[in-house]
Order: sequence, then structure tokens, then C-alpha cells
Amino acid sequence: MRLAIGSYTATSAAGVGLAAMQKSIAGRSSGLRPNDLDGCDLDTWIGRVDALEAISLPRHLAHLSSRDNQLAWLGLQQDGLLDSLAQLTKRISADRVGVIIGTSTSSIGRTEEAYTKLLPSGFISEEYRQPEVHSLHSPGAFVSAATGLEGPSMTISTACSSSAKVFASAARWISHGLVDAVLVGGIDGLCMSILYGFNSLELVSSSLCRPFDRRRDGINIGEGCGYAILMREELQPDSEFALLGYGESSDAYHMSHPHPEGKGAVTAIDQALERAQVPADAIDYVNLHGTASQANDRIEAYALAQRFSEHTLASSTKAWTGHALGAAGILEAVITLQAMRHGLIPGTLNCEEQDPDAAFGVLTENSHKPISNAMTNSFGFGGNNAVLIFGRTND
Amino acid sequence: MTDIDIVGVGVWSEYCSNWDEFCSVLAGGAIPQVTPLKPELIPAKERRRAPLSVKMAVEVMDQACRMGAVGPSEVATVFASVYGDMRNTDYMCRTLDAAPRTVSPTKFHNSVHNASTGYWAIATGSHRPANAVSAYLHSGTMAFLEGAIQALEEDIPVLVCVEEIAAPAAFKPFYDSEQSFSTALLLTPPAYSASPLASVRFGVRNEESDYPELPEVAGVNWSDNLAATLLPLLAAIATPGEAELQFPISSHSSLSLTVGSAGKAVDA
Repeated sequence: MRLAIGSYTATSAAGVGLAAMQKSIAGRSSGLRPNDLDGCDLDTWIGRVDALEAISLPRHLAHLSSRDNQLAWLGLQQDGLLDSLAQLTKRISADRVGVIIGTSTSSIGRTEEAYTKLLPSGFISEEYRQPEVHSLHSPGAFVSAATGLEGPSMTISTACSSSAKVFASAARWISHGLVDAVLVGGIDGLCMSILYGFNSLELVSSSLCRPFDRRRDGINIGEGCGYAILMREELQPDSEFALLGYGESSDAYHMSHPHPEGKGAVTAIDQALERAQVPADAIDYVNLHGTASQANDRIEAYALAQRFSEHTLASSTKAWTGHALGAAGILEAVITLQAMRHGLIPGTLNCEEQDPDAAFGVLTENSHKPISNAMTNSFGFGGNNAVLIFGRTND
Repeated sequence: MTDIDIVGVGVWSEYCSNWDEFCSVLAGGAIPQVTPLKPELIPAKERRRAPLSVKMAVEVMDQACRMGAVGPSEVATVFASVYGDMRNTDYMCRTLDAAPRTVSPTKFHNSVHNASTGYWAIATGSHRPANAVSAYLHSGTMAFLEGAIQALEEDIPVLVCVEEIAAPAAFKPFYDSEQSFSTALLLTPPAYSASPLASVRFGVRNEESDYPELPEVAGVNWSDNLAATLLPLLAAIATPGEAELQFPISSHSSLSLTVGSAGKAVDA
């Protein structure tokens, strides 16, 4: 399998759009800040995108207003994505372009807000009666409405693997001939459910997250969104990148703890390598899930060591963006593509004393190196794993 | 147009607890005494803590695998729902409003949309891919399409589960459903089974469509429940012969299905 990747973009605490993000990565400047989210008193750091609250959606989209969809709107305006879609729909009709968006939160923050103002009857009050927004399809419905794309539209919500899995479903849709191209993406906004939820699991760090560091003590939660246009190769023969492979698997172990030997992770990695038809040593860079939780980093390093040698450089970029959960897959897919474009591999930020129990050595300083093939890992609750492999097409 | 087989079906609602009961009620039989939901795949201790939405899903998924005689750890899964586990959402939102630091960690991890497929994978020991999707009003039809394409593209059996639970009070101004309904369809590439329950020819058309009329089942107004949009497909599977169905998948496209049913599971 090989599918062309057209325009792509990302928006997170590490930057709105690619140029800002690249500047943060090159300058090793984290987007995380002490928690200042309205209504949340947790002592932690967050990856927050500025001024989302002030974004007002155009009239025809106003019924879909939510923090997440405002973030989705901001993200759509970056890096000429809408122009690229307009170019594409001049060549193929809009009903041949599908939409698949990954999310963990959908617009639950809006539902939370509605519950703070329930009517005496127990009903959601008039201003919050937005059926699509309270559904799981809120971000997919929003992106279809905002872009005018008319192909099938679906939202995937498999926790933190959501917006990696969008590439797998899109690849199948295109291969099957359902559509010729898919706008894939991921959107997750900050909300109380995830902040207090991860706090209840004692997974939230009160300091800056330190992926793969010996002293790591939990995650920082972030918000973000990103998009990529995936299409049949004939539609863009000169594309810079291709999706070479994907792997999807289940841990079959625990709802919120990864399989102790990384069984699901290794299964997904093997599938992705097989689909891509490349040996493990042909992977130059791996963008790790690397959440900075004790369990994830230890087990992910163990899983990686099962398949990769020291030839493969690996790093986590969570300390730039925070863990954007349902948007982590697309954010890190975009970070991986950017690393390939610029030949600049981000070294794990805040990893000062690498954990000897995290058996696979991770890169801690930025490194200039050409990358032909790269992989990105996304692992979620429910033991849901997705792995993507991208390649430079001119190599 | 493409062919896909349906080799197993599962159904659970407050009005019928399996496929045989569904077929009987559909044929005008008496509404059975529905036994409490007790999916055997989930160990008793976990079953007590598992939410209704998970128990419904695992129950119907297990029913479909048994009927299709396909090992539950062999199937990839696609779960779909419009509003997900609204009971859990109701709990989360009330607790976050009243005392956010007291949120239950179990309820939090159960709040992921892929809770049902996660519990399924754990219960069956399956490392197969698990998906959880939504497409608002078209969640049922898009899940069918997603599952069918995955089964064909990857040459594996795919278990599609579509469900919606009864709405809590807060949701009722826009989603006033009193019933819970869950169904599972086990899809396989053609020739995977020598005697499929039904063979379906499907394709997407660029034309508008209304939802097909819902069959009469237990005298209930099923139009309230968004998972019950698939009832016409279940009725076609239950009825020997060929049926043509068209479901909308967006405001300007539709999924057309030609369902050829052996109808033999009715008295199986």
C-alpha cells in the first residue's frame, strides 16, 4: 500500500500552524504552562492554545460551537489547507473526498458546561441544545460542514489512538474505491473530564512532564488539532510523503494500563512494518507515544527494543505539546512529517536523566539527520494501539 | 457494488434478548420475558461493575460470534453509537459540577467511546484491531460500511456493534429515547462461510435517501432510538428472500443494500 500525503497542518500549545511549531521544536521551547484553565484548580501543567474562547464561528457553523470545534476552526485556517482542498475539489468532485476525524473528547466540555446550568426539570437549557455537539461525531460533523466536503464523514474515538487510526480507515476507504481522497484529522480540546479524570487515576504530573526521564511522574494534558490530506498516489504523483503502512491492535489486558510486555504495541508495529514492506532497520526515526507516565514509557521502550536496533532514533514530543489524547496521533504524525521535511529530529524535551529501566535509548537532543522512513506510535485506553509508517517519496 | 456476507447476528433490547426472540417478536409473536443482561464472557466480578452499554455490546457481539461459529478472538471490532454511554456521561458531568476531585477512576476509564471494544478484547483475549466510531444520525450505516470495507480490504471477519442506551433526563429535550437497543452483525468476505445467514450486495450512491420504514417490533416506537435505524436490515436478514434497502449516509449520499437471506436462523 502507498498513499500520497498532500497538505498537512497542526495547531497545539507548541504553535498555531507549522511554522510556529517548527520554531518551538528547533528552539526547544515547550508550549506547556502552569494550569490556568477556567474552573480547574489542579496543580499541573497544561498545553493550552491561546484565545480559543474568543473564536466566533461563522453563522452557518454557529450551532456547532464548542471549545473543540473552535479549535478545529482555528486549525483549518492554517498552512493553506483550505486552499489545497479547494484545488483538490476542482480536480475531483467534493463527494469523492471523505472526512475522518479522531477525537477522545468530542465536545464533552460543552456537555460539562451544559450540566452546570441544567434547568430545574433536569433538562439541558435552551442555549446548549446542540444535538450534534453532544454526540461523538461533533468534530467530524464540524469539519465536514466547515470544509464543504461531501464524501462520507466519520469520527473515530478510541481514546489516545483515535487520530492515528484515521489514517488506517482512510487507507481502506481509498483502496476500496469508496472515495479518492480523505481529509483526516484529530481534535481534542481541554475539558474537566480529562483533567480531573486523569487526576483520579493519579497520572497527572504537578510539574513539567519528563518523558523517559528516571524521575518522570506523570503526564501534562494538552489540546490540539491537526489535519492531513490523504489520497490516491495518481492524484499527486509529486507528493513529498507517502503513508506506507499502518498497524492496529488490542492489548487485551486492562482498560487503563498497558500490557506489561507491550504485546499489543509490538503486534501493531509488526503489522505496520509488514504493510510498509520495510525492515525495522529501514526506520530512521520513531516518534514515540512517550506520555511520561511510569508505565507507558517503560513498556514502550521495552516494546521498541523487541524490534529496533540503535540505528533507529526515537523521541517523545509530549513535553512540547502536552498529551493531546485523541489529537495526539495526528499531531505526532505531523511532527514526524516535519522531522522528515527538515531533517531535524526533535530530541525528547525534559529528559535529563534517562531511565535505565526504559531499555531503548531515546534521543534527548535535537539531531540533524536525513530521514527516509519514520514511524509514529499511539496507544490508548482500552488497550487500543495504532502505529503509522511514513516514507519520503523521492528516496 | 460489492458483496459481503453476514454470518451472525446478535440483538438485545428490553423487548428481546437474542436473535430468535427478535425473529419471533418480528413475526408477531408474544413479547418474551426478557432475562437480565448477563454477558457470560465478562467475569462475574467485572460484570457487576461494567456499565449497561458495555454489557449490551459484549452480549450481542458474543451472540453474533456464536451464531457465526467464529472464534471471538479472531474478529476485528467496530463499535458505533451516536451519544455513547450517556449514563456515564451524566455521572461524569454531575460529579465534575459538584465535586470534581471525587470523579471515580473506573467511571473515567469507562468513559472512552471504545470501552465496549476494550472490554471485549480483554474478555476474549483478542489482539485484533478494535474501532469505535460515530457519524451522528448515520452512525449505524457508517459502522456497517466501515466494517464491510475493513472485512474486504483486510480479509478478516469484522464484528460491527451498533447501540444506543435510554437517554438520561438532561438529554431528553433533543434525544428522548426510553429504550436501549444493541445489535451486532458479524461480517465476513464472501466464501468465508459455506452457509452465511445473508449475503449483501452494497454500494454508495450519490443521491439523497430517507431512512427505510421501521418494521413493527413489540409495538414500540423505535424511531426514538438511533441504533434502531438498522431494524430494517435486521428484518431483511430475518426474512427469507431478497430485499432492497437504501439508507442515507449523508445529506446527499446513500448506502444501498441488496440483502439475500437464507432466513434459516429464524428457526435455528
